[in-house]
Formats: sequence, C-alpha cells, structure tokens
Amino acid sequence: MSDQDSIHHPVEHEVEDDRPHLLPIYTNMFDRVFISVVIMVAIHLFWLRFLEVYLSLYVATIISLVVGYIIIRRG
Amino acid sequence: MRRTRTGWLLLAPSMIILFVVGIVPFIYVLYVGFFDWNLFSASREMTFNGVNNYRQLVFDPLFLDAIWVTIRFTFFAVVSQLIIGFFLAQLLLRDFPGKSFFRTIHTVPLMIAPIAIGAIWRLLTIPGFGPIPYLLDRWFDFEFNIGNNATQAFLAIVIMDIWHWTPFVTLTMLAGLSALPAEPREAAQVDGANSWQIFRFITLPQMQPVVLTVLFIRIMDGLRTVDEINMLTNGGGPGTSTRTIGIHIFRVVFPQTDYGYGSAMSLLTLYLTIVACWFLFVSLTAVRKR
Repeated sequence: MSDQDSIHHPVEHEVEDDRPHLLPIYTNMFDRVFISVVIMVAIHLFWLRFLEVYLSLYVATIISLVVGYIIIRRG
Repeated sequence: MRRTRTGWLLLAPSMIILFVVGIVPFIYVLYVGFFDWNLFSASREMTFNGVNNYRQLVFDPLFLDAIWVTIRFTFFAVVSQLIIGFFLAQLLLRDFPGKSFFRTIHTVPLMIAPIAIGAIWRLLTIPGFGPIPYLLDRWFDFEFNIGNNATQAFLAIVIMDIWHWTPFVTLTMLAGLSALPAEPREAAQVDGANSWQIFRFITLPQMQPVVLTVLFIRIMDGLRTVDEINMLTNGGGPGTSTRTIGIHIFRVVFPQTDYGYGSAMSLLTLYLTIVACWFLFVSLTAVRKR
C-alpha cells in the first residue's frame, strides 16, 4: 500500500473487548450518559405512577443511580 | 493555537444565541416545573412543591389521553406523508406534460401559515356549510360531521396534516433521489434485478439519510402541532378526541395560568420527543454488537 493510499484508507484496527456489555449496540460516553438520564426519568415516572404507594421515591432515585453507573461503566 | 482561538471566536455568536434562546429557557422550564405557580391561586408567588407536578401529571387522564391522541396523529400522518411523498418524488423524476405546473401547485400548501391551513379546512369541513360534508352527503349519502363524530374529526386533522406537509417530504425526497448515482441501479438492472429488488436493496439504502432526516423533522413537527388542529376542531373537539399535547398544554398554561404544571407537561413532552427520535435513530442506524 502506497503512502497516498494509507492517507485515504486508514488501517482499521479491530479491538477485541472481552468485557461483558449490557447494551446491544456500540456506544460512546455521551450515548451512555444520555441513556442513563432517559432511564432515570423513566424509572421515576413509572415509580410515581405505580409504586410510590408502597415504596418511597428515594428508592427509585437509588435504583436509577445504580443503573446509570452500571450503564456508564459497562455499557 | 491561534487558529483554534479564531475558530471559537467565529463560533461564539451562534453559540451565544443558541445558549440564550435554547438552553436558558430549557433550564428555566426545568426550574419552574418543580414549583406551584398559578396566578389565579390564593398565593401568586412561586412555591416549591418538589415532584408534585409530575405526580399529578402521571395520573392526569386528560394529559395521558392527549399523549395517546398525539402519538396516533403523528404515526398516521407521518407514515402517510412518507409513502405519498416518496411516490410523488418518484413521479416527479419522470417527464410528463404539466410536470412544472403540478410541482408548483403541489408546493403551495407549504407556503401557507398553519393557522390559515386550519381556517381553510374548517371552511371546507364545517357541517352545513363546507363543500366536503355537502358533497359526501349528496354523492354517497354519507354524513360527515367533525363537530360530533370523534373518528371523523381525527381523520380530518390527519388528512389536513398530510395535505399540508406531503410537499415538504416530496421535495426533500426528490432532491435525494436526483442526487443518487445511477451506476448501482444500472448494475442491478444488468444483473437482472426487478423493480422491487432495485427499490428495496439499492434505492432505499441509498436514501436512508434523507428518509431519516425527513422522518425526524416530521415526527418533531407532528408531536408539537397546535395551531392548525386548534383552528380546525375548535380546541381539540369533539370532547378531547383531537386534543393533542400542544393544545392541552396551551389550555392549561394560558387560560388557567398554571405555569408550574404547564412546565412539567412541556418537559415531559420534550422527553417523549427526544426518546422517540433517539429510539428510531438507533434502531435504523446503530451498529449492533456481535
């Protein structure tokens, strides 16, 4: 491959990542933070509608923070 | 370093405008959403009430019904616009007598303000006066009355939106189709592919960015439609059968001056719009892990 070709067609490295992933798609950090916020809001709304009679909303906050952390670290 | 500074300097005006007209109102609405603020209440001051607005919101049958109406309206309108727009764009790619005239006439609804579109369709469909109920009754003995029939009123707002926005879809699709390279299609023809196969495996994948762009613009527009429906069905009637989220928020915020609750509803609407578009985008473009 000439220098000219290497400029226009950069070599693609296939990185093997053995860590188990939660999400079925490739994501970057912004995607994972976005997904965490979306899930956080969804969990809170669901909790307000169906579960707040039995358990405090703080439980939803803790659950969504844990879920968000896991998604950001291991998405 | 100097080039970077120049770049930031050139970007600064647009970023400042974006911040002032986009980010600041969003943060303000987010803030007001946690307060009880109603000018008609005993205390006209803003009172912090935590998530009470959201608590009220998830149990509000009118709001939940408005969400359902909006989703149905957006789905039927956008799908129809995409299908009709795509076929009209295919048609306009070919030469036929009167093509320029048809293209101009077809684009006219785009130039009309939404409130005027609502007024036009109200005049067309108003029972006892409009030509559409008159002709349907005369030709087919069919009673068309958007004043007391919920299904017909819903159908009328969907058809009105299709009439208004299909030209936009057609023009965008036409631009996309005109820019497609001919070689892949010709190669497929040489290989013996039929029209459906060429459409499914050549044209559609090449048109994906255009279709996605149109889809997102139309979904976002559909989810926030207010004025033309408000004009046509006089505020979402009969009953609440055509009351979309936008109309519901308008009725809560302005006549009732319930700013806190209105802000919470606006935020939830924004949330639903972003999530819907994101899901669609990911399902159509994301790279799946093995």
